[in-house]
Amino acid sequence: MFGKGFPFLNPVGGFYPRETVDSRRPGGYTSKVRVRDRYHIVGFISSGTYGRVYKAIGKNGQKGEFAIKKFKPDKEGESIQYTGLSQSAIREMALCTELSHANVVQLEEIILEDKCIFMVFEYTEHDLLQIIHHHTQPQRHAIPATMVRSILFQLLNGLLYLHTNWVLHRDLKPANILVTSSGAIRIGDLGLARLFYKPLNSLFSGDKVVVTIWYRAPELLLGSRHYTPAVDMWAVGCIFAELLSLRPIFKGEEAKMDSKKTVPFQRNQMMKIVEILGLPRKETWPGLVSMPEYTQLQSLVLHRQPAHFHRGHNLEGWYQSCLKNGGYSATSSAGTPGADGFDLLSRMLEYDPTKRITAQEALVHPYFANGGPISGDCFEGIEHKYPHRRVTQDDNDIRTGSLPGTKRSGLPDDSLMRATKRLKE
Amino acid sequence: MAANYWASTQRRHWLFSREKLADVRERLREQDKVTHSQFPLPDQRLLNIYFNQQLIKLGKRMSTRQQAIATAQVYLKRFYTKNEIRQTNPYLVLTTAFYLACKMEECPQHIRFVVGEARGLYPEFITPDVAKLGECEFALISEMSSQLIVHHPYRTLSELQSELPLSSDEVALAWSVINDHYLTDLPLLHPPHIIAIMAIIVAVVFKPSNPGTFGNSAQSALAGVIRDGAGMGMLAALSDKPGSGSPRIQKLVQWLAESEVDIKAVIECTQELLSLYEVWEQYSEKHCKELIGRMVKSKKLDK
Repeated sequence: MFGKGFPFLNPVGGFYPRETVDSRRPGGYTSKVRVRDRYHIVGFISSGTYGRVYKAIGKNGQKGEFAIKKFKPDKEGESIQYTGLSQSAIREMALCTELSHANVVQLEEIILEDKCIFMVFEYTEHDLLQIIHHHTQPQRHAIPATMVRSILFQLLNGLLYLHTNWVLHRDLKPANILVTSSGAIRIGDLGLARLFYKPLNSLFSGDKVVVTIWYRAPELLLGSRHYTPAVDMWAVGCIFAELLSLRPIFKGEEAKMDSKKTVPFQRNQMMKIVEILGLPRKETWPGLVSMPEYTQLQSLVLHRQPAHFHRGHNLEGWYQSCLKNGGYSATSSAGTPGADGFDLLSRMLEYDPTKRITAQEALVHPYFANGGPISGDCFEGIEHKYPHRRVTQDDNDIRTGSLPGTKRSGLPDDSLMRATKRLKE
Repeated sequence: MAANYWASTQRRHWLFSREKLADVRERLREQDKVTHSQFPLPDQRLLNIYFNQQLIKLGKRMSTRQQAIATAQVYLKRFYTKNEIRQTNPYLVLTTAFYLACKMEECPQHIRFVVGEARGLYPEFITPDVAKLGECEFALISEMSSQLIVHHPYRTLSELQSELPLSSDEVALAWSVINDHYLTDLPLLHPPHIIAIMAIIVAVVFKPSNPGTFGNSAQSALAGVIRDGAGMGMLAALSDKPGSGSPRIQKLVQWLAESEVDIKAVIECTQELLSLYEVWEQYSEKHCKELIGRMVKSKKLDK
């Protein structure tokens, strides 16, 4: 597309000598910045449908550690061709470029080179999935209540920033909540995030399935077409519960899409929620009857034993036994999230999305307002050291690494995905 | 960002002063004076009219919304502040801007479909190879530093619609004026809310006597009024002596005074728009097509 004399501006506004550009490939797109001139790849972190994530250290004056997310185009035949970037990559690039907040992952730069996209992020040593997992090894020991409170506060703070900027995250789960070695929480992976201010198409039409199933809000399970920031708040509620119990609170099994690509009703997941929260009722959730899957929900009542439904709301029962099992109490070393913690959790796991607590309301909830200052370092006062992120050496070549061909929606938990990937490699 | 224009990359990186913009373009010209004299192109605004018509044609069969067309136009403007148009194949660049804008505005189209449409319109300039468009997408994103979120004046217009309030005819005319401002440099020179207010003023002050359909452009509706000089006095009144004009306009002037909007900027935008409508009289699609075609062909930019 470009003529011979096409000048290439470098990032500081100067020009690269034309000879260098032309000698590479006259007329084609050539990146002005080369990944390997700026970063030294030290290892492989994880992979997904989009591509792979590598750990890197800066070179040539660029200081610090980085996580480089590499998006690869689909393979067409033998050689890699430009096939147009996925909408999800475009969204993540545009949003990360625009966003800047202490509790949202920090983008350093984006390099487009050799038909691939390299998104360079700050490196984070931990994530919530890894921290939760660590607390189950070798036997279960609860995450201290002060740490849970700091994590949740920072998470909500980042989420409030996203929501006030009309960004829905849509994929909040422990694996996507990053934690720096100094205990700062960063919301990561904006691959499914999108703007919700007057979208041209209904939010439903673009991506039919969003949010990893265990964290998926009931209105999504019931087929809602117009969903709101409340879906992210439900996921935060699930994460809060998981931080306390060290297990996903609603661990359902995902029903797969059929050959006609119609989205199935997630019966099992809905049941898991109903088992703890009781059935949603139209008296407390007026919008319930207009949900597309309302009839499915009713059939669920008919086919299950009544035992599930007569216990009524027993989130409080779940919470109390969770505190007991975790050894949370005012006198224990773990401390306790107390009654305020339960109240906040129950407001996050509210069925009716219009009544569900917002990020802004949650931040001033008694759970945070009472009980003293909240540290911006979730590890403050904790002697415990968490293990570093696993970085493997089996694939350090950022340019030739193969792309796994799995679909993102396949497994609900990408820690499982990571393990199987590793086996394959 | 998305809600906050003031913190946006649009305000921080894509807002130019007139001098700065002229300077940027002069520097592009300086780099290749020979090509410039060899391949004269029409006035930038006439070229913009031509590009806009091409985008509308592209979007027609894909039922694309106006906002995606507007975003594509902004991408073109941004790209051509970094690249000399005479070094590019404008048909490929505009098709790519369209393809990228559709994804960004959440009405995505498949790359094959877009290339197919573009090839139907410009068989001489677009190759069937989708990789060309994919490659150009990289260039576009890279030149814009991945700053792809665009704030448009349409949003301010719909927010002010009930506040002022505006009649549906006025909103329709203001909407067309906003469509037209993409044919000028205004999107690079002023924040979207200034443009929206300009469009509202133009719609209220210059409202033609026979409101009705304005089509895609307000040009036909407004050109006559402007030629007659009607409304120009009103415009002056906005800055000089509030209190003159009809009660409807007085109310608007009062609202403006209270809202702390940069009136000077609004007037500057109005003048820019009016001069667009004057230049428009010289527009010839055939002429643009010939000049661009000759340039692309003789420089082999389509290869």
